[in-house]
Amino acid sequence: MNEKDQYKNRIELLQGTLDMLILQTLQWGPQHGYGIVQALRLRSGDVLQVETGSLYPALHRLERQSWVQSEWKQSESKQKARYYRITAKGKKQLASDLGRWERIVEAIGSVMYIKPEESGS
Amino acid sequence: MKGFPTFGFQRRKRELQEEIDAHLQMAITDRVARGETAETARQAAAREFGNIPLVQDVTRDMWGQGWLEQLGRDVRYALRQLRKSPGFTITATTMLAVAICANSTVFSWIEGTMLRPIPGARDAGDLVSLQRGERNFSPVPPLSYLDYRDLREQNHTLAGMLAFHHDWITLTGGAQPERVFIANVTANYFDVLGIKPVLGRFFLAEEETRPDAVPNVILSYSLWKTRYAADPAIVGKSIEIARHAVTVIGVAPEGFVGAMPGLRDDLWITLNPLGTSEWRMTHRSGGAVWLNVIGRLGPGVSRGQAAQDLDTLMHHIVLAYPDDHLGENRITLDPMWRSPFGANGFMAATLPILLAFAAVVLLLTCANVATLTLVRFVSRRRELAIRQSLGANRTQLMRQMVLEGVVLSIVAGAAALALTMWTSKTFAWFFRSSSSPTALNGSMDYKVMIGIAVFSLLAGMLCSALPAWRSSHAPAIEVLKAESASISGGSRNRKLLSGLVVAQIALSLPLLLCSGLLLRTLRNLADANPGFEQDHILTATVGLNIAGYSNDEVQVIRHKILDRVSALPGVKLASLTDWIPMTLTHKAEDAYPEGYVPHPHESLQVYHAEVAPQYFESLHIPILEGREFTPDDDEKAPKVLIVDQTAARRYWPGQDPLGKKLRIWGMLFTVVGVAKNSTHMFVNEAPEPMVYMSFFQQGYETIVQVKTEGNPADLAPVVENAIREIDTRLPVFDVRPMRESTQLASSLAVLQSALAGMFALIGLVLAVTGIYGVVAYRTQMRTHEIGVRMALGASRVDVLRLVLLQGLWLTGIGLALGLAFALGLTRLIARLLYGIGAHDPITVVSVVLLLGTMSLLACYFPAHRAMRRNPVTAIREL
Repeated sequence: MNEKDQYKNRIELLQGTLDMLILQTLQWGPQHGYGIVQALRLRSGDVLQVETGSLYPALHRLERQSWVQSEWKQSESKQKARYYRITAKGKKQLASDLGRWERIVEAIGSVMYIKPEESGS
Repeated sequence: MKGFPTFGFQRRKRELQEEIDAHLQMAITDRVARGETAETARQAAAREFGNIPLVQDVTRDMWGQGWLEQLGRDVRYALRQLRKSPGFTITATTMLAVAICANSTVFSWIEGTMLRPIPGARDAGDLVSLQRGERNFSPVPPLSYLDYRDLREQNHTLAGMLAFHHDWITLTGGAQPERVFIANVTANYFDVLGIKPVLGRFFLAEEETRPDAVPNVILSYSLWKTRYAADPAIVGKSIEIARHAVTVIGVAPEGFVGAMPGLRDDLWITLNPLGTSEWRMTHRSGGAVWLNVIGRLGPGVSRGQAAQDLDTLMHHIVLAYPDDHLGENRITLDPMWRSPFGANGFMAATLPILLAFAAVVLLLTCANVATLTLVRFVSRRRELAIRQSLGANRTQLMRQMVLEGVVLSIVAGAAALALTMWTSKTFAWFFRSSSSPTALNGSMDYKVMIGIAVFSLLAGMLCSALPAWRSSHAPAIEVLKAESASISGGSRNRKLLSGLVVAQIALSLPLLLCSGLLLRTLRNLADANPGFEQDHILTATVGLNIAGYSNDEVQVIRHKILDRVSALPGVKLASLTDWIPMTLTHKAEDAYPEGYVPHPHESLQVYHAEVAPQYFESLHIPILEGREFTPDDDEKAPKVLIVDQTAARRYWPGQDPLGKKLRIWGMLFTVVGVAKNSTHMFVNEAPEPMVYMSFFQQGYETIVQVKTEGNPADLAPVVENAIREIDTRLPVFDVRPMRESTQLASSLAVLQSALAGMFALIGLVLAVTGIYGVVAYRTQMRTHEIGVRMALGASRVDVLRLVLLQGLWLTGIGLALGLAFALGLTRLIARLLYGIGAHDPITVVSVVLLLGTMSLLACYFPAHRAMRRNPVTAIREL
């Protein structure tokens, strides 16, 4: 198995979650790729380190699905960068992703924190 | 996926690069702001980012357009691989080019004849040709003008209906008289076909029947160019046809040559331009039945509905004029691609079969190229295995291998395209000695090019898909581990190779069998006795009737010709006729034998020919009863007939036909003789009743028929000069030995057997080289094993048997399958055969023996080589 396939697998593992995180980041305003990495790292307290090999394919995929739109703009530091903006369709997707994620967390949580007396009955 | 992919792709690639650059730049700026040095910041940012080309690659995958770039890469790779093995590339390309060319050539002939029956006509698919009476493979014009006009005016199913009649005529007035083919047409002729003039106008409706009008003529594009030097002011000028002044009113567009498939008209004129055809325009039977008819189906009307409609109308006409419509009158319609009028009836019976043969050749070639490809992939197994372990997946590998085949076949297709430009024009060779103005040839147009593209892509896929699929499934690790040659063959590859060899033998057998049957048919046709003696006969056509001579002048000139030619040295006998048998033409007329009651729906049509005294004698056709014509059977004498045996038996069974009477064209003829049956059109025809009339009573065209002492071709210039000396303005043409003219009757058989023979030869070569290649290859793969066997005591004969047996099996299975296939296929050509059955045992056995022997011979050489090897070196060889 080559490197490329490994990347693909990682995207697959994270897919729903990474998409959701990116869309959530863009909720706060248009952002470029580097900005998204920084924002996720900051907000997660340095826990989430998104790899570029996952981020850029994800961004381009989201754009292809019309969940985000991109345009070239000057950044605050006069750097020309590609800014991504969430679309109305993307917002709907984010809501459904979030709902699904919450259900999964809840489901996993209820499995992980079962009280011994309940399971005994 | 918006926009055109290729342009977008390059732009997006650039943008991605810029996006990544910006990312790195921002990371560096941040790090520098945190106090790092520029150099460490740059290195750290790059490390953090990771493998840039890989990120680009996986990102591009998301675009869904990467395939284009990959395709470009794969094509380049395929070209590199093909360049590495020029032997294979050249062999495979050549074989594919030949096979594709075989298909495209036959297809171009179909395109030029059946698919474009009337070049230039609008929506030729809606045109139908009309036939009346018993369906016939070579019918005569079906309708009189009055019947035609009734059908045209009363039908509710046709958008238009045209009629025409064509014949030779002479263009006079210039320095040299020129024989041209002229068509008398209805005024709507060009409208119904959808043809627009390049100059001037076409006929107006009121010009159709007006005999007092100035005769107007329309020139064909080629006549306008050749005889009138493309004169732009030709419209309104007067030219001379058969010594009558006519006015040019228009020029037809380039390419349009008339409404009868395969024949070329040079001029078009109205039905009764000189007012001399009044009788023809006002009668419904006999000589007034002279018009060929083509209809254009109305919108949404099927051919069946139109035929029904016209048939009902015809039924009313028959009821109204029963005396003019004895016999069978049913109307049938044919699409133009198989119209029995003109060439397409013959074409439709031959060309699709030839295309089927060509398709078999293509399949066979694909099987052969596939074996070569498989062997090639097997020898590249290490390369493939390495690429697979480096991460190429099966789809990618297969795509590349199939692409190599497709690249090959595209090159082969291009070569075939160039070849077909020439071969499409070879069709006319088969009809050279025609006395009609044939316009038969292949046509190289966009449809043929699409055909070539389809043939070559299919071929490319066919010959590479199986080997590629097989090779991509080879287990990479085993291939890399195994150093021994023995594994490379692999039992699955062996099976595929065997299958391909069996397919080649099975496909070539039907080709060989069909060509064997067709070649024997050709020989039978040549050996058949046509019922007349055609060696030492020279014929020359004199355009007397079309040159504008008066009737009296014509009679005088005819006698002069006979006298002069008979007196020439080397001439045994001279006679006149207006028809040459076996030239794809015949004349037919309804005849009413006195005292004969026809069966219901019986056709009363008889063939007729007008012949002068000594005609039967010079052709050695015996007169069984009565007498031959004499010079006294002229216009003043009572009308006489000689019938053939078929006519005598049909009309007067068990009676003496001499003295019986027949009514033709409303005139009574008395039978004075019975001639032995002879061939009229084809050796394998069903005999039609024939009546011979006296040339000096009814002769129309003048064909001089000379029996010579020596080679008739030597006498041709002498005879031609002798005729011209009578009057220099006499048009003399088609001066040639009779045997040359009668070859026309077997031209289709020649075409069929020539192509079938060629295809069979290709098939034989492919099958034999195919089996040789596979057996040789497999024997080479087993060198080591054979060495071991010999070292352990196997004799050379054992080795020979081992290898031969392998070949024998393959040949046997191939022959068995091929025979089943062949016996099915020969039914297709059964109608084309003469004097031989479709399952003729001698042909079947000899073809099977030929193919079997050739295959065994092909196996023998590798077997022999294996047998002669030194076991010690064989074992050492891996």
